[in-house]
Amino acid sequence: MSRRSRGLPERPTTVFDSMLQHERTALAWERTAIATMVSGVLLARHASDVNVILAVLGVAQVLVGAGLLIWTGLRYEQLHAPLRRGDSPVHPAAARVVGLTTVVFTAAAMVVAVASTI
Amino acid sequence: MTRSDKPARDGSAGNRWLPGNPTAVGDDPDYRFTLANERTFLAWVRTALALSAGGLAALTVLDDVRYEELLGIGLLALSFLTAATSYRRWALNERAMRLNVPLPPSRLPLMMAIGVAVVALVAAVIAAVNQ
Repeated sequence: MSRRSRGLPERPTTVFDSMLQHERTALAWERTAIATMVSGVLLARHASDVNVILAVLGVAQVLVGAGLLIWTGLRYEQLHAPLRRGDSPVHPAAARVVGLTTVVFTAAAMVVAVASTI
Repeated sequence: MTRSDKPARDGSAGNRWLPGNPTAVGDDPDYRFTLANERTFLAWVRTALALSAGGLAALTVLDDVRYEELLGIGLLALSFLTAATSYRRWALNERAMRLNVPLPPSRLPLMMAIGVAVVALVAAVIAAVNQ
């Protein structure tokens, strides 16, 4: 199956961005997704000490991180053409989703931590 | 452009914690600026996640250490503060770039430095108490 028939753009043969900003940004997204999963594993581990059901919070965080990792790979592929055209890569929705989920999970971790000390 | 009490829906900085969509104002900046701002935002998010991982690890691993919950909850509180301000920073920076005005100053690095210093002090005290 060709890349075109799967809805993916043709793979470029040259790097147009000599400072590799696009690649560095994709790597930053990937590191963030992996950090989300690591933090989720630790949340699940600690929450299960308080109540096994609370481990769901950590598992949810791992799943969000995994979803983010997949999304960021697809976005890296799809952003080549718009960047070559000169379109802005700004993505407020992605920033909102990541910002909000991080707030929710860090708050959950704090609540679980306080609950575990009482 | 002042950042005073404007409604958030037009992309102004009105809402203190959740600024409006910055793409509603100004012109698209150089794509490299947008990507650099995105990376900075992600670096703050990772900092929050690393602090939360550290806090949770302190609570889980140091179970037989006295007052270890102070260290854990301190790190988690710092993590929450960092996460809660990261989107705001991104939106305000993006907005300033689109309007071609200087980026707004941030107290976040100072807060982080003080916070980490306090956590280090608490850790030192806990280590001394547990001798």
